Amino acid sequence: MTRRRPIALRESLREAWRLLRAQPLRTALTLFGLIWGTAAVIFLVSWGRGLQSMMEVAFARAGKNMVFVFADKAKEDFSPAADRRYLWFIAEDVAALRRRAHLAELVAGETSLFRIGSFGGRSASLNIRGVEPENFAIRGVQLAEGRAISRADATLRRRVAVIGGTAQRKLGARVGDWIRLDGTPFLVIGRLARVGTQLARDGPLIDEQIWVPLSTHQVRWHNPLVADDVIDLILLRMRDKRLLEASQSEARAILAERLRVSPDDDEALRMFSPEEVLRTIPLDQQGVLYVLIGGTTLAIGGIGILALMLDAVRERRREIGVRLAVGGRPRDVLVQFFLESTLLFALGGALGVSLGAGGALVLGSAALRNNLAPELRDLVPIPELSLGVIALALGVMALVAVVAGVVPAWRAMKIDPALTLRAD
Amino acid sequence: MTANGTTNGAALIELVGVHKHYATGEADVHALRGIDLEIAAGELVAVVGPSGSGKTTLMELLGCLSRPSTGSYRLRGEAVDALSGDELARVRGREIGFVFQAFNLLPRLSLAENVALPLLYQGAARRERNQRALRALERVGLAHRATHRPNQVSGGERQRAAIARALVTDPPLVLADEPTGNLDTQRGREILDLLFEMNASGATVVIVTHDPEIAARARRRIEIRDGAIEHDLAQVAR
Repeated sequence: MTRRRPIALRESLREAWRLLRAQPLRTALTLFGLIWGTAAVIFLVSWGRGLQSMMEVAFARAGKNMVFVFADKAKEDFSPAADRRYLWFIAEDVAALRRRAHLAELVAGETSLFRIGSFGGRSASLNIRGVEPENFAIRGVQLAEGRAISRADATLRRRVAVIGGTAQRKLGARVGDWIRLDGTPFLVIGRLARVGTQLARDGPLIDEQIWVPLSTHQVRWHNPLVADDVIDLILLRMRDKRLLEASQSEARAILAERLRVSPDDDEALRMFSPEEVLRTIPLDQQGVLYVLIGGTTLAIGGIGILALMLDAVRERRREIGVRLAVGGRPRDVLVQFFLESTLLFALGGALGVSLGAGGALVLGSAALRNNLAPELRDLVPIPELSLGVIALALGVMALVAVVAGVVPAWRAMKIDPALTLRAD
Repeated sequence: MTANGTTNGAALIELVGVHKHYATGEADVHALRGIDLEIAAGELVAVVGPSGSGKTTLMELLGCLSRPSTGSYRLRGEAVDALSGDELARVRGREIGFVFQAFNLLPRLSLAENVALPLLYQGAARRERNQRALRALERVGLAHRATHRPNQVSGGERQRAAIARALVTDPPLVLADEPTGNLDTQRGREILDLLFEMNASGATVVIVTHDPEIAARARRRIEIRDGAIEHDLAQVAR
């Protein structure tokens, strides 16, 4: 028996390509399904991952385990004295919390008011905050340049300022410049790194603020009618996220006692945790949502391709018969069907990955992001590509292509060519 | 090869006690019931019989498109039922040219590509395939239609292309299953002339037909009824 040399791979590929081109609509539809499925799942999952990271960063920005406490008015029925109707904190309240609130890791007081700041020929109304060194840590704010406010600045009541990026642009002052705040010269010792959109905030954006030592702030802008050391806002960082409520009760009890209001008086002491607010938004589930959408898209794409190709093979049973009748070995025909679907899959997969990953990369590219408005930049996540997702998308599509292309052909081949030819 | 001998030389086709069953759904169809048949090289045989008599099944067996359920089939002395799938494919490609009633051209390929298909599976080079396919199309008078798709040409031209595909490998055995069944008389005659021409140049030709005129032109006529051979007549007249 003479051995026949097998059809060259090149021949089979050429044949597969010719057959794909001979049926342009079907090929285009199948390709579209492949490309769409692959690209969509890759892009969506990358987007979801990016979004999750962005949210985590936003959490960190909002200050980890941070709690604000504002003093307000005592409720009428709880107020023991008429003169304590309007409440405020003083330095000793902060000191008491530091001593007694064991569930709080960091405690800091903060004052806030609006004054005119000026530098050179420019001036602007600015939110000037008196802060302690702890405020930087509690609020999770980094420095872009220079240094933060130190204990010594506080002790010596230095006239130094750390300036937010937006405020800095408004004044045009740099680190090392002397600016005037409400007429008083302050030395700019540092610039805050951009914070951008805050998920929870108390007043203007941090980027628009100017921070000076709390003690300096209290002396320069003290209200002689109240006290020398009034504090507008107390910031706490709690030790444990899971004990956020207990930590707040503890702090509330201490402050209620000091301010002589009932611990149940939620009007007197307003406590507010950005994280608790954020927790009502199901952030973690968003990532899952995108995976779900991506997975569904992949499945729909896969099913579409499966249907198209299965249909095509049914329609091509006769073709299988003819090819066998004119001397094609079952293996030749199988290889040809395999190559046809593999070629289709390779084309669609390559284009799909390029499109999905390309889209994700473009959206995350520095070139594009630098052209976005800063506010928009905070809303659009940097998509995070994952090789796993790419592999999964390609794997599913490859499986679909092979199953749809080869299995029916293989089944058609197990019966006599005569039956395949008779089938109508 | 002998041009018109009826039984001289070894038999090209030798069927002994061949039965064929089909399982179609619940019913078991007994399509062939004990066929004994010898066809010598160079013969031209017409197979006639009513619908459902087993003509097509017989042709499929002869063309190695299916195997007998029982009995033996020897082609050129080689036991076909013992061959592997690959060897059967080789026999179909090299030894047999099949012409179907329904033409069975691949709709997505041009006529030339259709005709070249058997050569592809023989591993012929591209240039050789193209040349031989064109030559085969010339023989059936279709060279000008080489690049057309099957749906762009008439039924007669399609069947001529199918014949070109059957003769492109110069097979010793040509099987035609009602090749004129879908054509008008004029086109049918052209097809028939082609088959007779192939026989004249050495090929053994077996034609299944309803057409008494064709049957009359053949030198040997086999009548089948209910899966068995009823008459096997050698005829003198053409």
